[in-house]
Amino acid sequence: MIKFEYVITDAVGIHARPAGALAKKVKEYQSKVVIGKGDKSAEAQKLMAVMALGVKCGETITVTVEGEDEADAAPAIQAFFKENL
Amino acid sequence: MDYRKCASEILTEIGGKENLVSAAHCATRLRLVIADNAKASKERLEEIDGVRGVFEAAGQLQIIIGTGTVNKVYDEFIDLAGVAAASKDDVKQAAAAKQPMWKRAIKTVGDVFVPILPAIVASGLLMGIVEALGKIESLHFEGTAWYQFLDMMSATAFAFLPVIVAISAAKVFGANIYLGAVLGLMMVHPSLLNGWNVGSEDAIMSMFGTTSIPTWNLFGNIKVGGYVLGSISRHGYQGHVIPIVIAVWVLAKIEKWLHKKVPEMLDLFVVPITSIFLTSLVTFMAIGPVFSLLENYVLDGAKFLITNPFGAIVIGALYPVTVVMGLHHMYNGIESGMLAQAGGFNTWMPVATAANFAQAGSSLAVGIKSKNAKTKSVAIPAALSASLGITEPAIFGINLRYMKPFVCAMIGAAVGGGFAAFAGLKATAYGVTGFPGFLIITNIPLYALLLLISGGVAFILTLILWTEEKKDEPKKEPVKKEETKKVEEVVKAETDADTVYAPCNGEVIPLDQVPDETFASGALGNGCGIVPAEGVVKAPFNGTVTMVFDTGHAIGLMSDDGIELLIHVGINTVELGGNHYEKLVADGDKVAVGTPLLKFDMEAIKAAGYDITTPVIVTNTDDFKAVGAPEVGKKAAGSALYKVTR
Repeated sequence: MIKFEYVITDAVGIHARPAGALAKKVKEYQSKVVIGKGDKSAEAQKLMAVMALGVKCGETITVTVEGEDEADAAPAIQAFFKENL
Repeated sequence: MDYRKCASEILTEIGGKENLVSAAHCATRLRLVIADNAKASKERLEEIDGVRGVFEAAGQLQIIIGTGTVNKVYDEFIDLAGVAAASKDDVKQAAAAKQPMWKRAIKTVGDVFVPILPAIVASGLLMGIVEALGKIESLHFEGTAWYQFLDMMSATAFAFLPVIVAISAAKVFGANIYLGAVLGLMMVHPSLLNGWNVGSEDAIMSMFGTTSIPTWNLFGNIKVGGYVLGSISRHGYQGHVIPIVIAVWVLAKIEKWLHKKVPEMLDLFVVPITSIFLTSLVTFMAIGPVFSLLENYVLDGAKFLITNPFGAIVIGALYPVTVVMGLHHMYNGIESGMLAQAGGFNTWMPVATAANFAQAGSSLAVGIKSKNAKTKSVAIPAALSASLGITEPAIFGINLRYMKPFVCAMIGAAVGGGFAAFAGLKATAYGVTGFPGFLIITNIPLYALLLLISGGVAFILTLILWTEEKKDEPKKEPVKKEETKKVEEVVKAETDADTVYAPCNGEVIPLDQVPDETFASGALGNGCGIVPAEGVVKAPFNGTVTMVFDTGHAIGLMSDDGIELLIHVGINTVELGGNHYEKLVADGDKVAVGTPLLKFDMEAIKAAGYDITTPVIVTNTDDFKAVGAPEVGKKAAGSALYKVTR
């Protein structure tokens, strides 16, 4: 299991488009990816659940990657966040 | 001519591929349905080399290119626009959704009666030939074995016309065609008195042994005034075409409703028998008697007008106008009704011929008088085509553009129509006019005179009255742009668990035409886009609000049956930060189809530079076998948008 934190810099937070792109990215890997904000969490694949977290600019999220290919998946997903959010 | 250049210029002038809903072509025209007609510049389209004319009709933008070239331009066009080739029917359907009710009704009449033309024309031609030969006394043809055999053969299609109409109508309305055929056959069943003999006491006497047609009183003798409740007069409907169309429509409604309600394993036992039983009852008790009466009135009215020289003058003059409005398809219904009547002839066709041939005359005059090579090259072939009965190129390509030739053609048509009625011309089929009309007309010399009169008057008047201006006259719009009438909201009494209903009034477009790559690619799930015509989003199914975005520009919902849906109002509108949006529900709220969810200010959003196309996406697409293709076109809030397959 690999866990990292990320601070959202996108002005409007995690909205539909990046959430969709994230879901697509995550599907490339077998690992299960969970995004947590405070005491709420959501599977990254589930678009609606991710959007329901209502993550805004400046908020910190925790990203948990767990599975066989986590070593590959975690850096790729981290890079995705830096690029898009 | 450079087809690709022509296609790419057309694409630019209609506002780019984002503005294109669907494309098809017919023999001469590119037929496009575009999202926002205001973005297309008709004037600039007409300037394009290769384009011979542009007009809007039947909800389509029709660009006249010409026979033999339109298909090549079309191929380049769909290649450039990246849209899948649509059949003409698809485009017609997309366009049909844009039209008001009465226009759709007329279109439906055309859809039913045009496909049966081969049967009618074959029988009509044969009938015309047999009759003509029979009249030549020196041949002694009448009464021979050949004569009787051919007479039987040519009468078949008309004797059983309701059956042919039933099959065509079943295809149009989506009923099972075999059930449709059963219904048609029932209406001409031999145990019923032949509909052609309803007025003949002898026939009634020989069949029933009384002088009036007996009835079946299915519900006993309960009387309302003089009418016995549920009584069925034991006669058939030979000679009527409208009752069967209505009956099949009812059949389709009942059948479709039952298919939805009845479990699949019982479907075959329950649906056909129930739909046929109910439809037959309604048909013989109500639809048949009422609509055959109405049909008689309409036919009598039409016949009165058309066989009376003054009426025929008026019809002749107005005929081209109805062609422009696309109303002429309903005439096939009148003509087939005339033929279906006992000993019936088509008296409508000669007047239609006068109108069509007059268009040919006017167009020919323009072709001869014009100095402009481009005008000539359109006008002369158009005149030829009109003389063979296809008038659209002449009307839209030439006569209407200059207006005066069109008026001259109306005058020619009026004079010709008057003559046709005066001479009592009649035909044995429908579907052909002009030169081919010689084959179905009963009096050839008088018909030739009719062509000469109508075409000649139009030709001479146009030659005298029309002068070519150096610069083209400002082109008249042939058809007024249809008002975008607010589609009435459909109140859904019951809803289907697998259906997503339209969240607002607007224009539904396929998902891949949503102007945002993320949505269009299907990355967020399948669905469709809708370009709202009103600033309110309503619940698309019964379910729960999963989340309303703080900014109010999007909403997530979960249906009671597990469809997760995202409605995203506008593209990139998250950037508006909540301005122009108002949330009407909160997370966790229960909603039913039609519950208002969000309000938004369309004009302000557009003014701020955002596209208001609203993707409606099933975000858990993967949980379903498939998310169906949407029905594109104008939709009212609450009408079915697409279905998921589990």
